[in-house]
Amino acid sequence: MSHLISDRVFVIDQSRCIGCEACVQACEECGTHRGQSLIHLEYIDRAMSTQTAPMVCMHCEDPTCAEVCPADAIKQNENGVVQSALKPRCIGCSNCVLACPFGVPKYFSRPDQMMKCDMCYDRSSVGLKPMCASVCPSQALWFGTLDEFGATREGALIFELRFGNQAVPTKVGTVVHDISAGPINVTVPVPGLWQEDPFGLEAAVP
Amino acid sequence: MRNSADTRRSGLPLQPRAAAIALLSVAVVLVLVFLGSSGLQWFDAALAGYLIGVLMAVFAVVYRYLVWLQRPPTAMLNRRGWESFRRRGRLARNVGGLVGLATTNLLAQGFIRRRATSRWAAHQLVFWGCALAAVVTFPLTFGWLHFESVGQDGSEYRAYLFGVGTSSFQATSAVGFLVFHLLNVAAFLVIAGVLIFLYRRMRDPGALAVERSGDFLALAGLFAVSVTGLFLTASTLWLEGRFYSFLTNLHALTVILGLLYIPFGKLFHIFQRPANLGVHYYRSDGETGDQQACRRCEEPYASSRQIADLCEVLGQVGFDYGDGTGGIFQQICPSCRRKMVTVAQAARVGGFG
Repeated sequence: MSHLISDRVFVIDQSRCIGCEACVQACEECGTHRGQSLIHLEYIDRAMSTQTAPMVCMHCEDPTCAEVCPADAIKQNENGVVQSALKPRCIGCSNCVLACPFGVPKYFSRPDQMMKCDMCYDRSSVGLKPMCASVCPSQALWFGTLDEFGATREGALIFELRFGNQAVPTKVGTVVHDISAGPINVTVPVPGLWQEDPFGLEAAVP
Repeated sequence: MRNSADTRRSGLPLQPRAAAIALLSVAVVLVLVFLGSSGLQWFDAALAGYLIGVLMAVFAVVYRYLVWLQRPPTAMLNRRGWESFRRRGRLARNVGGLVGLATTNLLAQGFIRRRATSRWAAHQLVFWGCALAAVVTFPLTFGWLHFESVGQDGSEYRAYLFGVGTSSFQATSAVGFLVFHLLNVAAFLVIAGVLIFLYRRMRDPGALAVERSGDFLALAGLFAVSVTGLFLTASTLWLEGRFYSFLTNLHALTVILGLLYIPFGKLFHIFQRPANLGVHYYRSDGETGDQQACRRCEEPYASSRQIADLCEVLGQVGFDYGDGTGGIFQQICPSCRRKMVTVAQAARVGGFG
């Protein structure tokens, strides 16, 4: 199964995020949702660390947001990109906001609408980088061909995460260094308190 | 992957209950036509094609609406919306507020204005144009409304509603001009709205990128109905009735195709959008009820009712986000979910940095 959109793949490596917020600013410039930043960026635990957590839509193969939408307003296009809510249909119930395992859709009360990351479809559909990936200085957000990824990046891409019993295949690739360990399991507690060794330094010591 | 809910939902290709109610709706319209036109006395046979188009549209709209209501999330919202509306101690206030809510949301459509004034202006023009056209053409087609000349010289007319005479007016008066040109007014409103919509779309690369054929088809259909309607007036006023017969058929064809498009295309939102009122009551109810605390950060993030309903719907559509201990992932707030994904990912690359 191909994960390509016009032979390119969107990649996220949250661990590389430096919290510069360039993506937040760039997201607002996207042609499909001008003026609204739809990317999420927040501190994991501000009291303990400067580490930030960026999140774009992972474009699930079988989008939970679309399945729980009472208005049938969320559609996946022919390239597997999950679009923002259809404006005439969205009734602003926030089911998608509360159902998405990645916490991606945003509800805007003024227009009474949900909006979400659509991988800057005006750009990515013609091979251009989504706005966030075009400005990310640490390449936590990256867009390119698999060959480019293999030639310039460490690690491998995984296209499935698990949330409890639920496997969620995604179109967006997540960087891991141990692909043989299988899907990223979000609900299994990370061994040890991550705050005690946030950069993996102690774990790396033999 | 989730369990295939599609297999559970599938069954007969045609849903008998929805089809039966849709057929009943068609029968109700036919009865109303018979009664309203004094036993078809005032039914205009020249408009029979329009009536057939309306009946087919009624069947398809009712059928699709009922099938839509059966989707698990829609059924849940439909049930909860009505429950919230009828809640004891709130019913009177909800009924009182309904008129205002429907006026702001469904008629004035303020939520569109808050997105963009030009989009709102275009939508208002199309909406009121279509509403005006519907108010005139449906009663005419059903035989509920007809005009009769007062006297023999055709200078004065009287409108009859359900066979009952109303006030008369001079054909050449301002009132007469307006009455006879109401559909032209509607056509100009719709065309103006369509042109604004087109202008916005053609200048917006973002909108074009996510464009689907249905978006343009709806505008093309509205434009075709309006323009062919205006052709009839043009033929009468300036071409001495030339091509009138052909233009009548052309206009009827566009209208009937338009009516048939409503249940299947973008315009079906006319019937879906009022569900927003149910959301309003559901949300107000939720805000005053128990709040769901995030299982991770323990902060409230949504109404307990909505989270419980959502968890039920997730199961109905085939998802299993359970953690094996009775908890469901959606009982964690969206912010914590994003953080958890990041922590889990970082663990797979040897930590942050």
